[in-house]
Amino acid sequence: MSPTPFLVLSALLFSIGAIGVLVRRNAIVVFMCIELMLNAGNLAFVSFARQVGNLDGQVAAFFVMVVAAAEVVVGLAIIVTIYRTRRSASVDDASLLKY
Amino acid sequence: MNLYLPIVFLGILAAAFAVFSVVASSMLGPRRYNRAKLDSYECGIQPTPQPVGGGRFPVKYYITAMMFIVFDIEIIFLYPWAVYFDSMKTFGLIEMVLFIATVFVAYAYVWRRGGLEWE
Amino acid sequence: MTLLAAPAFQAPNLAYGRLSPLLIIFGVALVGVVVEAFAPRELRYQIQSLLALAGLVVAFISDVLVASSSPFSSSAGTGAFGGIEAQGAIAVDGPAMFVWGILLVMTLVSVLLVAERRLEGGLTAFAGQASALPGTEAEREASARGIEHTEVFPLVMFAVGGMMLFASANDFLTMFVGLEVFSLPLYLLCGLARRRRLISQEAAMKYFLLGAFSSAIFVYGIAMVYGFAGSFTFADVDNAISSRVGADGLLLLGMGLMGVGLLFKVSAAPFHSWTPDVYQGAPTAITAFMSACTKLAAFAALLRVFYVALGGARWDWQPVVWIVAIITMAVGSVIAITQTDIKRLLAYSTIAHTGFLLTAFAGAYQGTIVLTNQVSSLQAVLFYLVAYGFSSIGAFAVVTMVRDSSGEATHLSRWAGLGKESPVVAGAMALFLLSFAGIPLTSGFTSKWAVFTAAWEGGAWPLVIVAVVMSLVAAFFYIRIIVLMFFSDPVGEGPTVVLPSMLTSAVVTVGAAVTILLGVVPQPVLELARHAGEFVR
Repeated sequence: MSPTPFLVLSALLFSIGAIGVLVRRNAIVVFMCIELMLNAGNLAFVSFARQVGNLDGQVAAFFVMVVAAAEVVVGLAIIVTIYRTRRSASVDDASLLKY
Repeated sequence: MNLYLPIVFLGILAAAFAVFSVVASSMLGPRRYNRAKLDSYECGIQPTPQPVGGGRFPVKYYITAMMFIVFDIEIIFLYPWAVYFDSMKTFGLIEMVLFIATVFVAYAYVWRRGGLEWE
Repeated sequence: MTLLAAPAFQAPNLAYGRLSPLLIIFGVALVGVVVEAFAPRELRYQIQSLLALAGLVVAFISDVLVASSSPFSSSAGTGAFGGIEAQGAIAVDGPAMFVWGILLVMTLVSVLLVAERRLEGGLTAFAGQASALPGTEAEREASARGIEHTEVFPLVMFAVGGMMLFASANDFLTMFVGLEVFSLPLYLLCGLARRRRLISQEAAMKYFLLGAFSSAIFVYGIAMVYGFAGSFTFADVDNAISSRVGADGLLLLGMGLMGVGLLFKVSAAPFHSWTPDVYQGAPTAITAFMSACTKLAAFAALLRVFYVALGGARWDWQPVVWIVAIITMAVGSVIAITQTDIKRLLAYSTIAHTGFLLTAFAGAYQGTIVLTNQVSSLQAVLFYLVAYGFSSIGAFAVVTMVRDSSGEATHLSRWAGLGKESPVVAGAMALFLLSFAGIPLTSGFTSKWAVFTAAWEGGAWPLVIVAVVMSLVAAFFYIRIIVLMFFSDPVGEGPTVVLPSMLTSAVVTVGAAVTILLGVVPQPVLELARHAGEFVR
């Protein structure tokens, strides 16, 4: 079976994630969109591994998952801290730093 | 294009079903609202825009989630290792012991800092 | 199905000796976490700081040993020495060992800043208890009891370990892991300032969200290049490009996406917007560390990816790098003029320097390195980063010393008349600023000279002209600060320079010494960079 449909799906997921990062205001939702982009990358890795015929892509997907998990931990810690300080997780409210 | 025809068809079906159920339930269903029903659902935590100064934030939830992820994700490497263990022999064992010891360092830190206590 | 038929297992051959600098750093970082878990609170600061310093020194020594015992590789004639270790994952070649050594030294200097305690009255500049809310009783109590987050030391060690891995990665997967290993600790470190915690936390969140966004884009780029070449190893990608086997679209897409991820890390415009916010909000010691070390590691990785793996597609990426270099220089130099906060101004200055570095990168000049006196693009960039890194750490060290009752006085108006208050400190700052401006007899001049020469030789002369014009624009705001420090009258109470401990004084002294030395006698370091040769393939 051709991997093209999977690649199209992965590109769609990546675009949805990227648009989400740019338009959503809640830090947690922005972060979820980033995770979506990483998982789109995983899907592309696995599909290409199938097409190319070696296991490298599948291994890469594992590593990306692990890194994503570590990122979740750090990200949640930062977002929770800022939420407790400000009682808001909106990225628009975080605006002390500008020109 | 033939390849995508089933997907398009499925999409149309799904959209039709979604529209149908929303319209049907709004026409047929009884309307008895209460506070819990009007709340947005976020997996058991308080919905995020909270009244100023009101409501406590269950940080425990996130701390538990973070720790779950750390120990859960370890399995990703254990699984392929277990499948392939027979042919890796001692080398595989040593490498995995090293890996788990490294993860255990983080565990020791969390434990000593009281991250495992629920109060 | 052939895909799942695994070949017979062969234990990977790891040259532990050649990888020892990396292993030592990660080992020390892990030991640091154990210390944090089990050592009594009173002793942690001493143990952690000594452990970090000792680890850095030992790793540096082992790096020197590895470098001096490395044979020239068989692919001679390219001027590369060293080899590829860890089953093709890590390249321990001349540039990698050079970058490792410099990273270790610059981290050592930064750790001295991190360990400084006198400026805050006996405590480090990091939040006593990050979980305590700012302005609450819990926070005051933590300060009163002298609680400190000594976790910063292991975090810095993890960060520098990740940078070393990032700079020497020889396949895309290792590079991605390295990228995250150094980014994640930095996100946390940015949010740990003792003073102005809201700004610090905000900086951490912005850095985290944008950094994670850029690394997601980077991952997708890797996936595209993998689809093109069928491998993660740089050499295989290079082969695939020169034999034109894959689909060009995938290669172009992957190259673009990966470029975004890497240019974000070196803070090139238009991916620079995080830099001023993060530099301003982060604890100044961490800003110093980031401005020197992150930039060095990221440039080493950028050059390695685009020269080794994507060198065959040079005609595709070079025009884009030209444009990015021009935008970066312009944005950094012009916007810096309007800044009123010293840390923010230095952040825009760092963006401008990224632009100057990109000119050499765009030139991609290799030349006949060993025989002539010319430096290649790679060597010029490495030399520039050494010079810039030390000046930058020194400048941020000075920023930590100029204080008022609310902590560091970073607003420029508070710096007026600093020359009368403390001629030595203001003089050191003036030296660093002159170096940034590229005035002769400072390291900024020699390094700019090296970079522009490499760019010119590589045929990027229009870029060099733009760069010289932008240098003049940038010189304007550096000079403006010097005038402000020496020839303006202090406003109100005026700034005070707090006398730091040995640690910060040592950092400023080292920064000033390197700035002058590299300006007057650049030959030894330039020679060392040239000796490092080119990337091994």
